[in-house]
Amino acid sequence: MLRIFLLALAMCLMTPAMVTAQSLQSLLQTHAEEVLKPGRRTVGVVLDDLVDSGLPQALPFLEAWRDRAIVQRTSDGLFFRAEETGDEVALFDLDSGEAVATVPEDDVTESRPNGGVRRAIGDALVQFQLSDPDIERRRAAVEAIARSMDASQLAPLQASIEGEPDTDLQQIKTRLAGMLGAQFSETTEDRIAAIEALSGDLSVDVRAVLNRILSTDTGVASAVPEDANIAAILIPGVDLTEAEAYDQLVAAELAPPLITAAYIRAELEANIEGAFVGGQPVAKLNTDANREIAYDALADAGIVPPRVTPTQQSEALDAHVFFVSYAEPDTAITDAARSALDAIETRVGFSQAADLGLDALSLASIYFLAAIGLAITFGVMGVINMAHGEFIMMGAYTGFVVQQFVPDYTLSILIALPLAFAITFGAGVAMERLVIRHLYHRPLETLLATFGISIALQQLAKNIFGTQARPLTSPEWLDGAWVLNDVIAISYIRIAIFVLALIFLALILFVLKRTRLGLEVRAVTQNPGMAASMGINPDRINMLTFGFGSGIAGIAGVAIGLYAKVTSEMGADYIVQSFMTVVVGGVGNVWGTLAGASLIGFLQKGIEWLNPSNTLAAQTYMILFIILFIQFRPKGIVALKGRAAAD
Amino acid sequence: MTKNFSTLVTAALLGSATMAAADCAAPIKVGVLHSLSGTMAISETTLKDTMELLIEEQNAAGGLLDCQIEAVVVDPASDWPLFAEKARELLTVQEVDVIFGSWTSVSRKSALPVLEELNGLMFYPVQYEGEESSKNVFYTGAAPNQQAIPATDYFLEELGVEKFALLGTDYVYPRTTNNILESYLQDQGIAAEDIFVNYTPFGHSDWATIVADVVALGEDGKQVGVISTINGDANIGFYKELAAAGVSADDIPVVAFSVGEEELSGLDTSDLVGHLAAWNYFQSAESDLNDEWVAAWKAKMGDERVTNDPMEAHFIGFNMWVNAVTEAGTTDVDAVREAMYGQEFPNLTGGTAVMLPNHHLAKPVLIGEITADGQFDIISQTEEVPGDAWTDFLPESAVLTSDWKDLGCGMYNTETETCVQLTSNY
Amino acid sequence: MRRSFLIENPSVMWFLAGLGLFTVVVTLMSEVTGVGLISTSFVKTLGKTLCLCLIAIAMDVVWGYCGILSLGHFAFFGIGGYAIGMWLMYARTEIVVLESLSGQAIPPTSQEISDAIGNQIFGVVGSSEFPLIWAFADSLFLQLVMVILIPGLLALVFGWLAFRSRVTGVYLSILTQAMTLALSLYLFQNDSGLRGNNGLSGLQNIPGYEGVSQATISIIFFIASAIALGAGYVFFAWVVSGKMGSVIKGIRDNEARVRFLGYHVESYKLFIFTITAVVSGIAGALYYPQAGIINPGEIAPIASIYLAVWVAIGGRGRLYGAVIGAAFVSLVSSWFTGGGAPNVDLGFYTIQWTDWWLIVLGLSFVAVTLFFPKGIGGLFDYLVRKPS
Repeated sequence: MLRIFLLALAMCLMTPAMVTAQSLQSLLQTHAEEVLKPGRRTVGVVLDDLVDSGLPQALPFLEAWRDRAIVQRTSDGLFFRAEETGDEVALFDLDSGEAVATVPEDDVTESRPNGGVRRAIGDALVQFQLSDPDIERRRAAVEAIARSMDASQLAPLQASIEGEPDTDLQQIKTRLAGMLGAQFSETTEDRIAAIEALSGDLSVDVRAVLNRILSTDTGVASAVPEDANIAAILIPGVDLTEAEAYDQLVAAELAPPLITAAYIRAELEANIEGAFVGGQPVAKLNTDANREIAYDALADAGIVPPRVTPTQQSEALDAHVFFVSYAEPDTAITDAARSALDAIETRVGFSQAADLGLDALSLASIYFLAAIGLAITFGVMGVINMAHGEFIMMGAYTGFVVQQFVPDYTLSILIALPLAFAITFGAGVAMERLVIRHLYHRPLETLLATFGISIALQQLAKNIFGTQARPLTSPEWLDGAWVLNDVIAISYIRIAIFVLALIFLALILFVLKRTRLGLEVRAVTQNPGMAASMGINPDRINMLTFGFGSGIAGIAGVAIGLYAKVTSEMGADYIVQSFMTVVVGGVGNVWGTLAGASLIGFLQKGIEWLNPSNTLAAQTYMILFIILFIQFRPKGIVALKGRAAAD
Repeated sequence: MTKNFSTLVTAALLGSATMAAADCAAPIKVGVLHSLSGTMAISETTLKDTMELLIEEQNAAGGLLDCQIEAVVVDPASDWPLFAEKARELLTVQEVDVIFGSWTSVSRKSALPVLEELNGLMFYPVQYEGEESSKNVFYTGAAPNQQAIPATDYFLEELGVEKFALLGTDYVYPRTTNNILESYLQDQGIAAEDIFVNYTPFGHSDWATIVADVVALGEDGKQVGVISTINGDANIGFYKELAAAGVSADDIPVVAFSVGEEELSGLDTSDLVGHLAAWNYFQSAESDLNDEWVAAWKAKMGDERVTNDPMEAHFIGFNMWVNAVTEAGTTDVDAVREAMYGQEFPNLTGGTAVMLPNHHLAKPVLIGEITADGQFDIISQTEEVPGDAWTDFLPESAVLTSDWKDLGCGMYNTETETCVQLTSNY
Repeated sequence: MRRSFLIENPSVMWFLAGLGLFTVVVTLMSEVTGVGLISTSFVKTLGKTLCLCLIAIAMDVVWGYCGILSLGHFAFFGIGGYAIGMWLMYARTEIVVLESLSGQAIPPTSQEISDAIGNQIFGVVGSSEFPLIWAFADSLFLQLVMVILIPGLLALVFGWLAFRSRVTGVYLSILTQAMTLALSLYLFQNDSGLRGNNGLSGLQNIPGYEGVSQATISIIFFIASAIALGAGYVFFAWVVSGKMGSVIKGIRDNEARVRFLGYHVESYKLFIFTITAVVSGIAGALYYPQAGIINPGEIAPIASIYLAVWVAIGGRGRLYGAVIGAAFVSLVSSWFTGGGAPNVDLGFYTIQWTDWWLIVLGLSFVAVTLFFPKGIGGLFDYLVRKPS
């Protein structure tokens, strides 16, 4: 169809004198219904007529239509371009472009072309736009071609490449012309050359082009047809099951259909005579074997078609050949495309593995970030803090609140990070002073008390912020993704989280190993009595350590909120996973937490890759694995040795 | 304004409305069974408010059968067994005449045995997966053929989608809906390998891999579309990840069945603009009745509040019930049920909803594009589609039909011409 | 032996007497006798509470007496519920299916019956095939065996692995929590064959007794729950009273010393862990037919934590403490969250208990651990010991 209207376009351009003077408005009126409520399949007529008319005002009309600025005035049914101003709309004449009137919104009906129609409009605009002085329009034209490739576009596209002033766009055009050429060039040599040129390209659209060239049909015949470009011969029982093969035969009407149990049943029901069917009493027909006997009796009597025996089935299969053939008749082209695609797919495979690795790394860093605060409070101090997840939540809500007051996203994040640390640090210290310090020798009770705090905090958050998820918007420079090639990409926000995780790892190691505080923390952890007698105040150290761990949870909350969402239950989502991360990695060691997070992240992605349709199953198996892992290695991956290991 | 509106919606009642409500023995009790706490509270509290608004307006218009209507609100707290317990309490202790409530199939299936045992009456206002028909429930939300199938048709017809990613949260509604869609798509000539299905847990946030999988679907040159039955919070991460991957609605359109005005309110919708949702109602629908309803809602709840599809379902359901009670002259469940069949009431989107003998409504299907202000641009609206309890696209249920009026059976096998069972298959 | 045991433990006698009296009073005041002072829905609530008391005693034995803080006992409770629920659903559906198939011209084959039942049960969750785990669902006896066997086996394997590796203290708690999380995530999947998020529903309808009113069924289950609780109480009181009791209390207080005394600590722990899991399964099997529906949300980790909370508030290390805790907290909770408690108007702010109850509960929890480690049961010590 596109070809026809291109031809028509060309004719119009050549013979402008022949075009009868006609206004755009009157043309639209003949298609009023299609213009007002366009559908992808009906809009073609309008577009054809518009292009045929050769009217210069068709171009701005099409653009306005695509942008949903065309309205119909209810009173007289005329179409206008509209500009909204509050409750009123200003109407502009489509032919002259002049302002006509300003009317209330209710007096006009909008035409709302959907995505499919907009694509069709884009296609129609291509002709006008490919060599338009405005680069945005040229770019739109190229995108339109890329979305729906068509043989007719090849020539105009190639023609426009030379005159393209913008080098970037020129490259895109050349690449697109290559993809079109691979499919639609006239000669086999041209196509093969184009195909070979594509073989280094990993992108989805290049693979799409090659796959389209290689599109196949399955077939069955008594012998391999001479003229077909055969891709593969299928052997029943090896490449496809015998049942499938027989179904193909039936579909091609090369074999009689199998008699199914349901069919037998229906036929038996239809042929009941008194209390008997085919010599069998009806009451005995409650097994398949008896039903078959009765059916066979009916078949012998010629009432119903006989059942197809397994021997007949395999004979029918043996008598035919099953094959897959290319739609493209030229073997040279399919061979070239096949080898190009194979080469690409090998590289795509590697890239996908790398991409999965990046995803796993990102997931690991999120788990690490969520668990790192816990690694300090639980791992170093041995305090079970079930409210750890709620500190993560508090941090995230801090970010949300800051964004309510500071509209600049970059600035608000910069404020939110330290603020979240300060707030959760304070909350941690308060909790340590009020509750945990009374329970240092009763770890199981710490668990229960902190759980009480956890449900109270969660409910408090619900009362304050509601149960709805709240957004935490990342600054613009974190939008988008870092694209390595067409397969490997990772969003900036995940990179930021990864970097944040690294910073924390370094920070914590530094604090614990290189500062006075860290020395005291380690001293108190190992032997509080001895530390106290050396002049360290264990109370103060415990308080600070707990606050530090909690503060880090707060910052993690901001990061997690940025990449997902902020809800009152987000902490609960991470708490069990975080504990497992710490336990799997090995308690009492920051490196252990890192190892635990990496193991869990990579393993989960690995399981997801094996079973891509069920993410929930991946999580289940992950936890099962952790349970087993801990049974066999109770001290975790990085187990402490010697005195520090005593618990 | 509000008063004006009430008189309009209860036009059928005008005769009795003028009479004094004084000679009424006891107020008519309407049970409201929506969670006010727990995970579902966010969605269901709105419906409780809707019911209160509807009852207020009805009372202002003179009540019902000369009586005032009293709302009995209970809180099942998003805890599924509690729905059964509270339904029993409403029917036996509070002795309500009708219940409006539930959201999610599991809560409905929890309450069903109680409703059938005690012969109660419930209006369920949310879209669901079908494959159920109870004598005691009117389903005012969309069945799959009133939401999922038309949306899929739209993808096939208007957007020319040839390859489908069915993404859903792992629970019953997405599972069953996707099953129906898979079967439907294959009937429409889409090959099984061109349908990618994935299920994620509630509140899932790690979408990078799944989005990459969806993008990779385009590698054989077919137009890809996503049909999303992803529930609640998980949507945020999903759309964020789509946007981060540079995928726009023009490249891969997403149509969602669980994203409405309420879910979008207060969110930054810039990542979602252009993606689609299918419902029977959008706040942006253009009709006088809708303008009045939205105004009444905002007057009661505040200017920032939005209306959505399940609210319209309650709006229609409640008004039909009022009219049916008036017609029957009693609140007796069996009499009201008989009077419900064939009840007509104007949709907020224009046109008329009709209650069918299978306890579903005939309603138009709307498809909207998400706009930057969290509203929807309606780009397609069908004629009224009659709701179908048993889908025609799964072999087991294609032979089943539901007709409580003439056949008196909700699960009638048209092949064997027998009633499979009178209770529902909870 | 038995008599002397009861005489040595007067609290058991008191408990049984109290429980018996309570059962009789509730039965007399229920709708069955026509008095109707207690509604059927409240009888169900009471019956469910008795089941919760039973699992709370089990929890008390494993935690309060043996020192193993299991955060996974609700998993066993849920398994018991699923096991009985499978039979209830299967048998109920079978009756419906047989009736509808009997109207046909040709008698159905067993395969057709099974397909039709599968279609009824799984049709609503988008499949129709019978998963393997339903193999015994047609037999009440076998499913009752499952109620005991599966929780017992799971606890045995899990406990054997964990105790053998000397996983103790908080590690074991986290591990048990992971176990229940894994189980609930697994059941959440539709592919698990147990109807995913929907779970098994309509369990209050007992197949074969369609004509019996729920008022009667609720009382029968209430009495059965009371008997189970009484039997469980006596059994556990006996377990913790003899030499065995001394050993497990010894393990709680100092595991290493008991080991040095020559006891095989792991076996004792494994025994206690397994036997309490079995009792939890039985409690679940009685609970869910009263609740009417079981789904994976029931066995989320939070449920097991609440169980520990009940025991802590009631008072650990004394069986009646667990009963008090479970009954008190679960009933008070449902009173507050059910909107039973009047809202408090502070003038500037109205406290709605549906919103604030959890906060009060959480904080009271902290208060109990900090200030009353013996819980409510500890109050009895004052009453008993003051005079002497």
